Amino acid sequence: MPAANVAAQVRTSLASLKASDLQDAQIMEVLKLAHQLTDTMKLFFSSLDQSICQEFNYIADYISRTRDEIAALRPNDIKTERIPSAGVELEAVVGDTEKATETIMSEAEAVLCEEATDYDEYRANVEARMMTIIEACSFQDLAGQRVSKVVNSLRHVESRVARFAEVMGVREDESFETEAEKAERERARKNLLNGPAIGGPETSQDAIDAMFSEDGGAADLDQSSIDNLFD
Amino acid sequence: MAVEMTMPILVVDDYKTMIRIIRNLLKQIGFENVDEAADGQEAYEKMQKNKYGLVISDWNMEPMTGYELLQKVRADESMKATPFIMVTAESKTENVVAAKRAGVNNYIVKPFNAGTLKSKMTAVLGDF
Repeated sequence: MPAANVAAQVRTSLASLKASDLQDAQIMEVLKLAHQLTDTMKLFFSSLDQSICQEFNYIADYISRTRDEIAALRPNDIKTERIPSAGVELEAVVGDTEKATETIMSEAEAVLCEEATDYDEYRANVEARMMTIIEACSFQDLAGQRVSKVVNSLRHVESRVARFAEVMGVREDESFETEAEKAERERARKNLLNGPAIGGPETSQDAIDAMFSEDGGAADLDQSSIDNLFD
Repeated sequence: MAVEMTMPILVVDDYKTMIRIIRNLLKQIGFENVDEAADGQEAYEKMQKNKYGLVISDWNMEPMTGYELLQKVRADESMKATPFIMVTAESKTENVVAAKRAGVNNYIVKPFNAGTLKSKMTAVLGDF
């Protein structure tokens, strides 16, 4: 029951008591004070109700605004179009790459096994296989275009997620990680799964060879490789 | 002691293409007795049944990595002396140092060529 109604009910009860022809002056004085108190309470609870109402209105407005902002980010587009399409493109890249690799490997192996008894025939066969290898390399152009589309999709998702975080006033919380992600991170840490470095090996083959040489090889390492050892 | 060119070599990699490349390079070098495994677990099981003259293993595989395979091999009396070469794209110094501490005989960074493979095999097995 709202506070104002409670106050009104108390007032009614007090009025009913006053009207019941009580003779005791002291009781009448108490009733008068009680009446003044309920008037004060009514004002207090009315203002309280009003401020709560304002708070709820503010929250409702905020939720409504946020919902509009989220709708503007088109999350369904990301879920139903961008991500699935990026996945399809990447699968196509893997498929094209595998197909091209299979062709190139098979032709190269065939060249290695080619009988060189007749020079003209040998040359014609090798040239034909080389042309097949060159043709198969066209996968790189397609793969490049597909990867560009995926990169664009990722940028799109990145900007939407950043905007969403801004709208929601989200702050970084490093502890947010699923159990599967935690297990994968722990496996990668334990097994030193760093993956290939961008732009070539982080430690050159020469530096590695030096580490495996009989004297331990430290003297053969260049300064950058020595520095790497202390990173 | 001369290297036996017919000795069995176990190539461990989760990419069929990489196994095929290494097979071809080994064939070019003169080794044709090549067996294969798709991850560390399969390799370890094969090593329990067969004796190999050399293991050439990738690092990053699932469920068992090449690094875990190396540690298991070196901890197993029946196979701890098997020469082990890591062939991997993991090129951080911490990887090389960890592999060396775990007992790897040599380490090749991908991409590599037949010359590199041959020189590391010579360093591990001796001249052939």
